[in-house]
Amino acid sequence: MKEIRFVQAINEALEEELSRDEKVYIIGEDVQAGTFGVSTGLVHKFGPERIMDTPLSETVIAGAAVGSAMTGYRPVAEFMFADFMYVAGDEIFAKAAKWRFIHGGTVELPLVFMASMGGYAKLGAEHSQSPESMFMHTPGLKLVVPSTPYDAKGLMKSAIRDNNPVVYLFHKRLLGLKGEIPEEEYVVPLGQADIKREGTDVTVVATGMMVQFALKVAEELKEKVSVEVIDPRTLEPLDIDTIIESVKKTGRAIVVDEDTKRCGVASEIMAQIMELAFDYLDAPIQRIAAANYPIPGGFMEDYVLPQTKDIKAAIEAIAD
Amino acid sequence: MELTQDQLIKLYTLMVRTRKCDELIVNALKSGKAIGFFHSGQGSEAVPIGACTFNLRDDDYLYPHHRGHGIGYMLARGLSPKPFVASHMGRVAQDVEGPTARERGIHGGSGTIGASFVLSAGMGITAKKNGKNQITACFFGDGSANRGTLHEAMNLASVWKLPIVWVCENNLYAQYMPLKDSMAREDIADLASGYNMPGVIVDGQDVLAVHEAVKAAVDRARAGEGPSLVECKTYRYRGHSEGGPDISHYEPRPAKELEEWKKRDPIKLFRENLLQQGVLTDADVERIDKEIEAEAETLEKYADECPIPKPEDPSVLDRLLYAE
Repeated sequence: MKEIRFVQAINEALEEELSRDEKVYIIGEDVQAGTFGVSTGLVHKFGPERIMDTPLSETVIAGAAVGSAMTGYRPVAEFMFADFMYVAGDEIFAKAAKWRFIHGGTVELPLVFMASMGGYAKLGAEHSQSPESMFMHTPGLKLVVPSTPYDAKGLMKSAIRDNNPVVYLFHKRLLGLKGEIPEEEYVVPLGQADIKREGTDVTVVATGMMVQFALKVAEELKEKVSVEVIDPRTLEPLDIDTIIESVKKTGRAIVVDEDTKRCGVASEIMAQIMELAFDYLDAPIQRIAAANYPIPGGFMEDYVLPQTKDIKAAIEAIAD
Repeated sequence: MELTQDQLIKLYTLMVRTRKCDELIVNALKSGKAIGFFHSGQGSEAVPIGACTFNLRDDDYLYPHHRGHGIGYMLARGLSPKPFVASHMGRVAQDVEGPTARERGIHGGSGTIGASFVLSAGMGITAKKNGKNQITACFFGDGSANRGTLHEAMNLASVWKLPIVWVCENNLYAQYMPLKDSMAREDIADLASGYNMPGVIVDGQDVLAVHEAVKAAVDRARAGEGPSLVECKTYRYRGHSEGGPDISHYEPRPAKELEEWKKRDPIKLFRENLLQQGVLTDADVERIDKEIEAEAETLEKYADECPIPKPEDPSVLDRLLYAE
């Protein structure tokens, strides 16, 4: 095993897959420099033909990825901020998601849409969003939201090898997080949840940065409440079985989601727990998510984004 | 290279077939056999046939314009019209002979207008990366020329010298919106200078002029000199979509305008040309018409016998959604 930061884990995954398959390339704005460091340095090894710096043109970044994926390449399209993916709405939600389906299953679109997500960096309303629910809502898009360096690397490798469009969102505040990964090659398959902490009293379901929040709270409360933290790791496909198994054991569930509360990922996971494990619940499911506002700039963001104290209060209340 | 007599006759025949297939769907909608939308391309047959029949290699990529739901492009690429006819009747095509659309570089079409530009940019990246001198031909209308996707894709294609030929089928109307009220300049070809590429205007009713103009652009792209824009001035005879009104803004399109354009019908012009040159005789014309009429009748009967899909097994939908 070796210790590695989250950002290096993604970088290693990209480097390994670029080496493994010459059809893989990266396309986006300033990917040669690497705005967040995830693609930094790759241009020295693979050259500008495979680490392709584009003009400021998100629509053609997404659309070109679709066009070249359907003709045999495996592009990783980088959007810098997930917020910028809205600019390429038609290309992501209609073209990438639906093309195979509407053309009778004759086309494969092996591509990755990669971007940073999330708040807690005081970057304002249009550089802080967690838009997972939009992707999870759209049939035809897979969705990866890693929470550790180990998962970040293994899931990126699976995302690149998948023959379908995969949205890969890494949290900008997790990039410095250190963790252990094996020296040898490994992949993490899409659609397998991971139990990040075992417990018996309360199930907390979370992804991305919220996993780290939940683990911190679980540790703080360990003398009082035994918290099980489940990280689905991919929201589509969603490993609901692991979540349900945990809820059947604990009888109590809290879903934590950095996305806006209304129609968010937490809403969907809560609904599925109700459909599949209602009889096992000893208390109403709780939902911790961002308040239904745009994310304000500066210090005000603390009033909208979910905080560890909110998770703590919910666990204490539900376990009571 | 001059086209041979056989090639000239092929261009003529393909235009007549394109018109006939288009009419077949229009009539089938009227009789209730066909379902959904149809956006007729009658009047613009010279563009797909002139551009695609003899200028493209089998392994080139092509993004068809939505007029006629791409039938002219499919026929020019040597594809069977069976899937086109069957699918408009809501049926699953059976026993399709010849190459598939994908084997001739046609990877689908879009319900939203203007995605053609950015997807074609991606196909242009593929063509360039493959290193086999392939090109990508992207066909679009005057309406989509007002999409921002045009700017992003044309700029990127020029900066990266992608082997793309942009061909505009300018039929003067975007649904009900006349071009004169929706674009600041009269000629779409003028956009090319903004992207540092050649832009030419061609008579879109003259199949040989379209062939020549697109040939020059294809040769340039294949030689690695980057993209070009060809604007074909043409017209559509029918309304935006079948069953909808045929209007300009909110009033009927001028009858005189249609009358004038019909005098320059692309099939009529080329037929007169070929008769005059002695490439075709009146008897040839009659024979071609009869053969194509018979083909249309056969196609309609064929479609009637194709099955309506019954997805009794829901895993069918799963396989459509995701590849293995």
